[in-house]
Amino acid sequence: MNDDPEQLDKYVEDLLQDRKPERTPLPDEDALRARQTAAMLRAAKPGAGLPSKEFLERMQGSIRDLVDERSARPQPAARPSRRALLITGGAGVAAGIAAGVAAAVGLDRLPKPSAPSSSQALVENGSWKPVKAVADLPEGTPVAFRSGAIEGFLIRNGDEVRGLSAVCTHMGCILNYSKLRSKFECPCHGATFEITGLPTRDQYDTPLPRLPSLSVRIQRGQVEVYTV
Amino acid sequence: MREDESATTAAFASRGKVVPLPRADAPQDLNHLTWAYQTHVTAIYQYIYNRVGNRPDAEDLTAQVFMKAINSMRSDVSVPELRSWLYRVAQTTLADHWREYYAEDAAELDDDVTRPPAARENPEAVQRVDALLATLPESYRRVLELRFLRGYSVRETAQELDLSETNVKVLQFRALNRAGRERGGRS
Repeated sequence: MNDDPEQLDKYVEDLLQDRKPERTPLPDEDALRARQTAAMLRAAKPGAGLPSKEFLERMQGSIRDLVDERSARPQPAARPSRRALLITGGAGVAAGIAAGVAAAVGLDRLPKPSAPSSSQALVENGSWKPVKAVADLPEGTPVAFRSGAIEGFLIRNGDEVRGLSAVCTHMGCILNYSKLRSKFECPCHGATFEITGLPTRDQYDTPLPRLPSLSVRIQRGQVEVYTV
Repeated sequence: MREDESATTAAFASRGKVVPLPRADAPQDLNHLTWAYQTHVTAIYQYIYNRVGNRPDAEDLTAQVFMKAINSMRSDVSVPELRSWLYRVAQTTLADHWREYYAEDAAELDDDVTRPPAARENPEAVQRVDALLATLPESYRRVLELRFLRGYSVRETAQELDLSETNVKVLQFRALNRAGRERGGRS
């Protein structure tokens, strides 16, 4: 069997229509590479490549079931007291853990997390990790960083630096900051958050939890974040 | 759920390929699993989507990655290790996927397998495609741009290029094979 233009085009059409291509055995490496290349080209089309809301919700349900199942099994390493609350929060869980990282430096002015579940989770055994030089932070404009498990933003106002989680409290996508609109924007489903971390009003029937604050400190001109 | 010890041993086998599970630094809770999911699901999905180019496969494979990860993971693995481990499970899952088309070791055909994954995949996918298209002759580049980046049908492409539909398919075939060799030739 040889590969031919008709067969390859069938594969291409499936990709373009977002159908699962048929799994037919291929004659050689060239045929495979041509299809891998087609897949890569398809993925570069503007607007392609974000998971759907339905898929994320389905996945979230399955993950929660699996975690429930596992935690029902005796595991010496686990600590039952916190487990119960940690597996129940859905989108709030990511928020909760990050919130539990600490109450941040210079955050007194900001409102407390609105959802009680998002302030209870704890992270232990973390450490302070330097992420940016204070001198590299512009006044008032959030700068994204990533350290260990933490994706976040640093925002400097005068001598004060605060940290916010960059994980959207809707479905867990990583937020971008739009300088134009002065908002954090979610690439997945369009949720937006103010620079304070509060969700923009009236987007959802049930308002999203605010973005958790991260614990930050300044040491010798470096901003450090408490992370696991 | 498996009751045997293998569910928590430090290895995960994927058709003969063993991805060792990272050792834990400190005992942690099951919240890792949920958090790992929350923070990585979109990135893993995009990583896979950029390689399979269609939503149904990307969804199936992403689900497989997380199910495999959770089923064979100790609850005390540390989060930073989990991130790279998820990507490695994604790589072997993709290799298995391509092996259904062609039985040779597909992992070696994918020049991206050993590269550490980027944090935000999609801009990177666009750059890779631009770089690839730039290596192709004009007519090849043109047919791929029309079909993939602008989503033209074969008929529309034929009109645009003033070719028969059969010739568009032949041109597309040659262009994809040439581009595939360009990708394979790089390492």
